[in-house]
Amino acid sequence: MASRSESIKSDKAIKAIELFRKRMNRQAIISMGVCVHCGNCTETCHYYQATKDPKMSPSYKADKVRKIYKKHFDWLGRVLPGWVGAKDISTDADLEELKDICFGSCTMCRRCTFNCPMGVDKALIIRTARGILTELKVAPQGILDVNKDQWEVGNQMGVSDEEYLETIDWLSEELQNELGDPDAKMPMDIPDCNIVYAINPREVKYAPMSLLASAKIFYAVDESWTLPAKGWDNTNFGLFSGDNALGGHMGKLVFENVQRLNGKMLVTSECGHGYRSTKWESPNWSGIIMKQPILNFLEVVCDYVNSGRLKLDKSRNKEPVTYHDPCNYARSGGITEEPRFLLRQSVMEFREMYPNRADNWCCSGGGGAMSMSEYSKRRLEAARIKAEQLKATGAKIVATACHNCVDALTDLIRHYKLNMKVSLVGEMVANAVVIEKKPRVAVPVVRGDAFLKGYTILVVDDEPDMVTFLSAVFEDNGGTVIKASNGDEALTALRRQKPHLMTLDLSMPGKSGVEVFEEIRRDQKLTRLPIFVISGQPELRKLIYDNSFAPPEGYADKPIDEERLLLTVRKILNIPHRS
Amino acid sequence: MDEFLKILEDQVQIVALSIMAIVYISKVIWIMRFKPFVEKTPAKGSHRAGIAYSFATIAMPWSMESSSKKPYKYIEFALFHLGVLTAILISFIIPYWPQVMESTAVVFLTRTIIGLALIAGLIRIVRRIAFASMRVISSPDDYFSLFLLEVWLFFAFWAAANNNYWMLVGFFALTAFFLIYVPFSKISHYLLWPFARYYLGKHLGHRGVYPKISERSVRQVTNAINQGV
Repeated sequence: MASRSESIKSDKAIKAIELFRKRMNRQAIISMGVCVHCGNCTETCHYYQATKDPKMSPSYKADKVRKIYKKHFDWLGRVLPGWVGAKDISTDADLEELKDICFGSCTMCRRCTFNCPMGVDKALIIRTARGILTELKVAPQGILDVNKDQWEVGNQMGVSDEEYLETIDWLSEELQNELGDPDAKMPMDIPDCNIVYAINPREVKYAPMSLLASAKIFYAVDESWTLPAKGWDNTNFGLFSGDNALGGHMGKLVFENVQRLNGKMLVTSECGHGYRSTKWESPNWSGIIMKQPILNFLEVVCDYVNSGRLKLDKSRNKEPVTYHDPCNYARSGGITEEPRFLLRQSVMEFREMYPNRADNWCCSGGGGAMSMSEYSKRRLEAARIKAEQLKATGAKIVATACHNCVDALTDLIRHYKLNMKVSLVGEMVANAVVIEKKPRVAVPVVRGDAFLKGYTILVVDDEPDMVTFLSAVFEDNGGTVIKASNGDEALTALRRQKPHLMTLDLSMPGKSGVEVFEEIRRDQKLTRLPIFVISGQPELRKLIYDNSFAPPEGYADKPIDEERLLLTVRKILNIPHRS
Repeated sequence: MDEFLKILEDQVQIVALSIMAIVYISKVIWIMRFKPFVEKTPAKGSHRAGIAYSFATIAMPWSMESSSKKPYKYIEFALFHLGVLTAILISFIIPYWPQVMESTAVVFLTRTIIGLALIAGLIRIVRRIAFASMRVISSPDDYFSLFLLEVWLFFAFWAAANNNYWMLVGFFALTAFFLIYVPFSKISHYLLWPFARYYLGKHLGHRGVYPKISERSVRQVTNAINQGV
């Protein structure tokens, strides 16, 4: 018979307790029970350091989960709950509070774990709670949407097979043009290669530069590699959402395709959580232990340099560079020296950041934080610690090896007005690559080929300098430009002139870019218009990760350089260099 | 010696210790009934090295920012725990090897250690009460355990000379209470600590994260990478 307290519990609360019981393993039980509330972890958390809010202490946050353990498992807690801080989850509001703590104020970076004298894995505690909340659908919409995309489409950005193959095709042409070699290719689904290369969907959707960089390096060493046609997403929101079944599903997709293609090794591109999931977590979640080794791109490139296969010219990267250790590499993956080695070989001046390696501060975008737009303000506030760390290096470029970190660092650099750029390590290396082999047949490099001739582009921005810059670049490349300085003007121009593409700023007086975006996506006649968001606002993440509408076809953070701008436009309009 | 004190020092302690042992054994059995997460992936590092490093962190204040940046906290931790260990030790020495405590040097040393632990404990109480970040994470058990340990250390300090009847009664009465209360309270953290450090060390050692790479060891690792190891 249910007790009185159980009888007034919400259905979700009852289910939460059931799930909690199911998820307890020995490590979790120990981490729940061993904390002595010494407070040593408090100052190791970037949320606490930035806000000095006692409720941001890792111990306090973990206690919100631990109180359930104490109520249902701890011997004294079951008899005298108030004595040991045991408290049950009773209402949906309790679950909402737990959601806010577990998703909104912890990136599961594990910095506190490494500084806990007892060895409490607080990230494990938080992830346990996340898994329960996700199963109950009490999770940020962005997390639920991406989970759904990974379950249903097989990748985190809902990229269709057609879009994936078209993009890779287009990138192949870009690569051929850049290298002047018609044999340079992005190999697709080739069996028996040395490397099956699993990537981050962001590289297909929004950041093709990093995939081009990898392809250039593989080309330079004449590597036998392939992208798989299926199971190509190395990212895994199962890690962030705590959904082990999804984690296993995504791992299985990747592993089965490596086996189908009979690749000799699986290499993941630069993605912190993707590497951690694929190498360390997914085999456990899926139960599939491949005979092929799983490596990160940086480990492979290190080998190329060490064996003399890859020659680098560091004079091509003249500006001082520092390195940000992604948490999933440094604290959960065992990769800290390879990126440093590569940067020292690729750049004129490498500056260490302090603290570093396993002691590094989180970029503030870990644990799926970039997909939870409702917590952007808190995320950016907590990012102050990272901003101070970056500023102290005096470097002009911060290199990192994770796409989430790239996004988070870009956001915080703009927010804290730092004079820095963000780059992936692979991009820095690719820029320094010395290619010695001669192409069989030279492909003429086409520059200024008026590739936008016949295309009309609507430029929407309230900053006159930005409008002038964008218009000049598009017109120089043969495009016709329509200008709008606010949302209403943009919608009017759009309905009258039907452009092929719209660039959209999000922060504008009157109707905001977000409202314009949503209005276009709701309008059946306009919904297919490709939109390239160029903005400095964190609201951008909502448009990408929340599935209420189809995401923008392209996005870039301000300031944007001409090369990135044109590459993205060509990608969106599917125009190769040699059009 | 008073018969009451004799019973309190001996039979009562044995009974209390037996209860503690039964509870601890039950607790360990209970923990072992939960299935551990078993790593199936091929290791990048060494389990043994990871476990050894994980346990060694207790003696390496430089390995954690929480102690390297605030060395006084580590000193306080060491003194407090050393004092508690000393008090536990004299709870066995006084009834079974009382001649040891006849040495003034031993008594002086014992009192110095326990006295420093008392000061460290006092600092801990003040910190727990004075700082908001400590108050929000503190339960009644946290306050009670710390306060009671202070009282116990106070009695231990005076009982060390083995010549003050009421201090000895207070010390052994509290010791008996602790032996029964501790397994249920946060003070039993030392029972779980080896498990926690073992599993964390094994997990991070497997991935090559532990032993943690420091600036000092970077050169070695870089050389290893250069040699393609």
